[in-house]
Amino acid sequence: MKRRSFLKGTLATGAAAVAVNAGLLTPSTVLAADWNKGAFSAKTTDDALSAVYGSSAATASGDIKLKAPAIAENGAVTPVEVDASGIDGVESISILASKNPMPMVCEYAFAAGAVGFVSTRIKMGETMNVIAIVNAGGKLLKAEQEVKVTIGGCGG
Amino acid sequence: MAIKIRMRGKSKGGVAEIKALIKHPMESGARMNKATGKPYPAKYIDMVTVSVNGTPAVNAQWSGAVSANPYMAVKVKANAGDEVTVSMTDNTGDKGEEVIKLK
Repeated sequence: MKRRSFLKGTLATGAAAVAVNAGLLTPSTVLAADWNKGAFSAKTTDDALSAVYGSSAATASGDIKLKAPAIAENGAVTPVEVDASGIDGVESISILASKNPMPMVCEYAFAAGAVGFVSTRIKMGETMNVIAIVNAGGKLLKAEQEVKVTIGGCGG
Repeated sequence: MAIKIRMRGKSKGGVAEIKALIKHPMESGARMNKATGKPYPAKYIDMVTVSVNGTPAVNAQWSGAVSANPYMAVKVKANAGDEVTVSMTDNTGDKGEEVIKLK
């Protein structure tokens, strides 16, 4: 009996995971209510983007102003600013750190009453690229910048 | 325990920049406690909402990779006198909320 219920359990969670991967359970980008566990536990930037937007194909855009330091003395507090106010219909902005164990750092979803602008501070374990993804009208736009980290942000 | 938030906002030409400084350890759950050899338990803010006069404008999802004592700035369409609320919860269920009236 125990084995049976165990199998049932794994099958059920397996199915849920597949549904998430297929984008069936991905909460809508318009002010999602649930924390996107799939995206934040993804190990690569592509997987994280697929979990959020259902696609990892983003085009580089000069309209995104990504402000990050060229050299961060302390990777635990790297200031990052993403200004996409020059783009119409910004629905969300995500910030990723390419070489972090889990690259997805944060995602901001905007309703009509907001402007596509985010400024925050993130942790970076080593020298890597900061990636800003802007979702405007279903199109994914990207800006990337390398940040050299002299002291890591993960307990070092 | 309530999360402490310090917040400021000023409207200029219909757009207000809301700046918030939050007191929180933002422990990702990956950092090792060298004395015990076990990781510090995860404790980070995962959901943040910014509302203008009660209508949600920005919904943010954070991970443990947002720096400790986070700083956040967003821009919302709001005028002087509007009420802006920033509310958040962390992964252990702690909540914080702060309301300001725009100048």
